[in-house]
Amino acid sequence: MPYLSQIVNTNVRDSADTTVGKLVDILIMPRPGSYPPLEYLKIKDRRNKRMIFIPYRFVQLLGKHDVVLSGMLEKIPVQETVPNELVGLQHTVLDQQIVDVAGIRVVRVNDVRFGTFEDRMCVVGIDVSFLGLLRRLGLEWLDFFGLLKVNLIDWRQAKLVHGLLKLKTERLDINELHPADLANIVEDLNVKHGSRLMISMSTDNAAKVFEEVDPHLQAILMKYLDPEQSASILAKMSVDEVVDLIKMMPADEAKALMSYLQSAQQSTVQKLMAYKSDTAGGLMTVEYVTVRPDWTVEQVIEEVKKSSPAMTNVLYFYITGDDGHYYGKASLRWLIKSPSDQKVKDLLEHYPPSPSLRADMEIDEIARIMTKYNLLTAPVLDGDRHLIGVVTIDDVIRRLVPDA
Amino acid sequence: MRDKWLSWWKRIVFFFGVVGPGIISANADNDAGGITTYSVVGAHYGTTMLWVLLLITISLAITQEMGVRIGLVTRQGLGGIIREHFGVRWTTVAMVGMLIANLGTITAEFAGIAAAFSIIGVSKFIAVPLAALIVWFILYKGSFKTTQKIFLVFSAFYIVYIINGFVIGPDYGEAVRHMVTPTLQWNTPFLITMIALIGTTITPWGQFFIQSYVVDKGLKIRHYKAEKAEVFIGAFITNIVSFFIIVCTAATLYKYGIEITDAKDAALALKPLVGNFAQSLFAFGLFSASMLGAFILPTTTSYALCEAFGWESGFDTNWKNGKTFYSIILACIILPAIAVLVPSISLVKIMIFSQDINGILLPIILIFVMLIINNKQIMGEHVNSRTSNIISWATIGFILAATVALVISSIVGFN
Repeated sequence: MPYLSQIVNTNVRDSADTTVGKLVDILIMPRPGSYPPLEYLKIKDRRNKRMIFIPYRFVQLLGKHDVVLSGMLEKIPVQETVPNELVGLQHTVLDQQIVDVAGIRVVRVNDVRFGTFEDRMCVVGIDVSFLGLLRRLGLEWLDFFGLLKVNLIDWRQAKLVHGLLKLKTERLDINELHPADLANIVEDLNVKHGSRLMISMSTDNAAKVFEEVDPHLQAILMKYLDPEQSASILAKMSVDEVVDLIKMMPADEAKALMSYLQSAQQSTVQKLMAYKSDTAGGLMTVEYVTVRPDWTVEQVIEEVKKSSPAMTNVLYFYITGDDGHYYGKASLRWLIKSPSDQKVKDLLEHYPPSPSLRADMEIDEIARIMTKYNLLTAPVLDGDRHLIGVVTIDDVIRRLVPDA
Repeated sequence: MRDKWLSWWKRIVFFFGVVGPGIISANADNDAGGITTYSVVGAHYGTTMLWVLLLITISLAITQEMGVRIGLVTRQGLGGIIREHFGVRWTTVAMVGMLIANLGTITAEFAGIAAAFSIIGVSKFIAVPLAALIVWFILYKGSFKTTQKIFLVFSAFYIVYIINGFVIGPDYGEAVRHMVTPTLQWNTPFLITMIALIGTTITPWGQFFIQSYVVDKGLKIRHYKAEKAEVFIGAFITNIVSFFIIVCTAATLYKYGIEITDAKDAALALKPLVGNFAQSLFAFGLFSASMLGAFILPTTTSYALCEAFGWESGFDTNWKNGKTFYSIILACIILPAIAVLVPSISLVKIMIFSQDINGILLPIILIFVMLIINNKQIMGEHVNSRTSNIISWATIGFILAATVALVISSIVGFN
């Protein structure tokens, strides 16, 4: 089966052996999760040097350096224009970057492979091998020992990120990757392509991926997304991440970003903005479960169920008075093993008091305390011992190892 | 009080954060090939070639600024853009050109290391393999960024030339006069030296380096003004150093008709300032300049090739994923190191000729840069201004003309 590079630029003949012109491109309609059949040949007409499009069903032979039509040119309905959704393989796929969904990496398209699938000529694979490069250069003979292997990526496993390709429905595959891996891919791509990839994901996933992306890049990506997309991604992000992002931006952009937030989110963000980023105040999240001392285990479980969908993680819940005064924290394990009518405050007495943080504590000290006491989370208290936030260990580690 | 210090510190960090690519790139221009070429220019032709230096300072600023702009707008390296817009064949042309020029420059860096150690009496058969090993080890295992900074600090050595310039008190009037009155000699040595002078100042690798640096750093278009200023300052500072190297060698070597055949000769230029210490000081300066280049060039080469041909790259990959990336770096260290080890090869000639290769291949890269930066589809509103276009095309035209003249003169001769 032929490769695109072996077909483009060859002369196209009709059934009477008259040369029609030079093949410029082959158009397909990208379809999610399937091998797209070839739709049109784009040919530079030999007579008037204009571009014409011939539907693929009039192609009899598509071989190496030989393309033959199935009828006389006069009998074939030649088109001068084609629908916009069609995509030229030579123009928009070749030489561009693609995401190899199976291999989780970004590669460049060296060539495109055709094959017959369900009786139609389709695009089946993308050649990303060195051999593909040599073929393009007409230097295939260099591999006279046949040592090089073609490395094809199944078309269905490839995510094209070029602007003209709208493979939105293909996002099924891409959403199966871990957000952290996806974030690495977004970082590998150039910004235009990276932001398009983000847009093609579900909002939930986009927000998760976005949180994993390097903060510098976050700020840049935001500018490439339109307000609506930014707003929906921001709404799904945890508040402390939003604060970090806003801090990275110049004043005017930050202001615009703030306006996308819902009003409840806005006031929390504003409060958190006051803290320096490498202190407990800057690291802490404000999304956690609080319960009252006189609640029963059953009530606590209800509360966890109710509020957890909005949170990244629920490992602990925090016991505070009506005025926000902090009494202590307890883990989910405690919930599971306790009888459902037991009161929260009865259990607190059996718990050793766990250390807390102040908002102005620096990252080194936080890391020291959390390591010393083996804490996954630590409450942040103000001067009157009111709970104002919670620092989780993953945010601390992220700050200490920024490049992962 | 502490907060005050902190904010000061942050400001300094920000300064080094944004201010970086232009100055590093320009500074690394004064590498082994640079120092040697400038020394030879001064020693053999006095201050008569200073007009070329003045013109290429402007060209350097303009071309580097274009690299910054393309990087800021596209957030992609030069290799990637060439591939996406010109296809595989043209990409191969550009990449082969860059590869040859860069291998030449890296050879010059190792020649510089060999020359530096020969001054203090260490054989190149010990110095070069050892340096190659260190470069490879640090690139593979260590921190590229930290090392880069260390050698950047070392390159402050150039200040010595400036102070030296004031100590010697050369004829500045004549220097300035030569700077504004172009004079040409129609013979092969002059043309070779002049093309080397251009090729060591504006380089193919410099275009690739500055663009990927901008992209890597995550700089945005709103940094453009700061970056532009930085690039201009960088070009100016480096060429002030170049100016003083030429003036110093002109006032010491040229005056007494000493030709440079060995790095020791070039070191004589520093004698007025530091006396007998000149040899060791020059050796140190040459060594650190060469090392900076030896770190930057293999990396830049590998980044550009990987981006253009779609291989995985970056220091955060391991050997298995980044096999090609590391292999290219390794080849870019080993091949030049071996070339320098050829017995009785002239180190000075290597350093000069490699800069000629750079100069001759430069138009290829610059033409791609010009086509990209004037493409509205790619650059949008940030296409080139008319001034930048005129200066850049004039630079390209000048180099091409000089190359043609060189070819003619070396075949038939002008007299």
